[in-house]
Amino acid sequence: MSISAELARPTAGNWLKELQRRRSGNIVLLFVVIQVIAIAFALVFPDEFRYVSTGNVQLMLKAIPSLVIVVLGVNLLMIAGEFDLTVGATFTLSALVMAKLFNAGVPLWISVIASLGAGAIIGVTNGWIVVMSNVPSFIITLGTMWLWRGVILILSGSVTESFYPTRFFEKLFTLNVGPIQVQFIWSLAVALLCWLLLERHRLGNYLFGVGGNRKAAAALGVNTHRVKIVAFGITGLLAALSGIMSTVRINSISPIQGQGLELQAIAACVIGGTALTGGKGTILGAFLGAALMYTIQDVLLLLRAPGHYLQMFVGVIIVIAAVLNEAIKSE
Amino acid sequence: MIDEAEVRAAPLTAGTPYIELRGITHSYGPVLALDRVDFKVHRREIVGLVGDNGAGKSTLIKILSGVLQPSRGEILVDGRRTTFGSARVAMNYGMETIYQDMNLIDGMDIMRNIFFGREAAHPLGFLKIGEMKRRAMEILEKEITIEGIRSPHQLVGNLSGGQKQAVSIARAMYFKNQVLLLDEPTSALSVRETQAFLGHITRLRDEGLSVVIVTHNLFHAYQVADRFVILSHGKKVEDTPRGNTSAEELTRIVVGTK
Repeated sequence: MSISAELARPTAGNWLKELQRRRSGNIVLLFVVIQVIAIAFALVFPDEFRYVSTGNVQLMLKAIPSLVIVVLGVNLLMIAGEFDLTVGATFTLSALVMAKLFNAGVPLWISVIASLGAGAIIGVTNGWIVVMSNVPSFIITLGTMWLWRGVILILSGSVTESFYPTRFFEKLFTLNVGPIQVQFIWSLAVALLCWLLLERHRLGNYLFGVGGNRKAAAALGVNTHRVKIVAFGITGLLAALSGIMSTVRINSISPIQGQGLELQAIAACVIGGTALTGGKGTILGAFLGAALMYTIQDVLLLLRAPGHYLQMFVGVIIVIAAVLNEAIKSE
Repeated sequence: MIDEAEVRAAPLTAGTPYIELRGITHSYGPVLALDRVDFKVHRREIVGLVGDNGAGKSTLIKILSGVLQPSRGEILVDGRRTTFGSARVAMNYGMETIYQDMNLIDGMDIMRNIFFGREAAHPLGFLKIGEMKRRAMEILEKEITIEGIRSPHQLVGNLSGGQKQAVSIARAMYFKNQVLLLDEPTSALSVRETQAFLGHITRLRDEGLSVVIVTHNLFHAYQVADRFVILSHGKKVEDTPRGNTSAEELTRIVVGTK
């Protein structure tokens, strides 16, 4: 009895083991470790590395929500075993639809609904083509990504569209609550909704099932096509929401915005522990994965490294994840 | 030594079979997988479905589980004509399939696997986790005790082949399905696990279920089945009660008709 009491006491080692047993344990650990290192460096070199300055922290909290919301959608889709390379284009096109309609005199709420609708339709169309053709979604969405990128260029005429909505709408996304911009709170709310969907709703069960063992899910009476199409739809919807939020924040949408977002989102999910092969992933992991992606971008900026370093990082992360996936599978 | 077959409750082979297939034909493109096969399963009967590779066993199971729709032929449940348009429809008629490649999802825990596709949920689709957990505990304690399983929250991916098989069976038992379709159920099991598994099957039959067991291993089939159906190249070549044959004779037919 004394031995088990000894074991039950939360010693440092146990605490660590307990954390690692959780599905999102590794990413929590990684996130904390990287934050501690960054903060430690910032404290030692306060002038050269301004990581903990108010300005930097606020900037990060403002920038993280856009990526987080896209990542949350991509994460659900990856759990269902599919990829969506159009999210960057969906992000931009949906925002462009909203700005164009509003600037043409359409009421704001209709413009916003049209924008979200456009995102959902792009997603559902991708999903429909994927399940009907049985071609890997990576290929299908690679194609549709270029299609929508072309539409963006035609629609925008390659110029940045400005967007100055009503004051209320602007405040809805830019108000500061203490040191935190309300966008960050919205991203937490979306994360909570996604968590409810994934962990506490029937659909979440089906996402894991379809991604983990499609045949079994089908044999147990689940309509796997419908589940996948819904997952694509949610992904498109969230990409659109993110595009709207970003456009309100910076009052414009440029046709080249959102490029590379698709791979950043996949990398964030992978860092967060979501399997490239489907059937595995958590909301907390995806959230922290996205936050970590931005932390790394921020650190590179503070170190005055050129922007393409992030691209290199994203590329390396995806290759490493794919190799590790394969290694684990063959074990 | 007492003959096991005599001790066990007799199958209800008389009267209307629970499931009856008549003249089932199925082809994959130009390949004829099943050719006018008649097949029936009575209540409380274990049918051993045997035959060499490519004989059409898996196709027949898929038709019974609603995954495949036959090109021609009739399906009768309790004497009434019907169709199994999808896996869901077949499940509603009480068919439960346990495939050789497992109908479990490794990334989910035991509880979620047991209730997959049949979740206890509120009208909006939100899960009743507490209720499912309570029922899962009940299943693991009463319906079937599985060696080495302590909690319904253990990940199925971490279980052995035998434990997984037991979870599948616990699920089938809990939902009181009429017909259990087992596709090569023993191929991933150890010798000890196989014996435990065959014991479960017999118990299920005694409790009133019907079982169709597809296997390469005629000796496993012979231990439990009440009747044997042998397929060869898509045709039924033998349909005989256990009392009229022996494992050796069955082997001769399977090999001989090749």
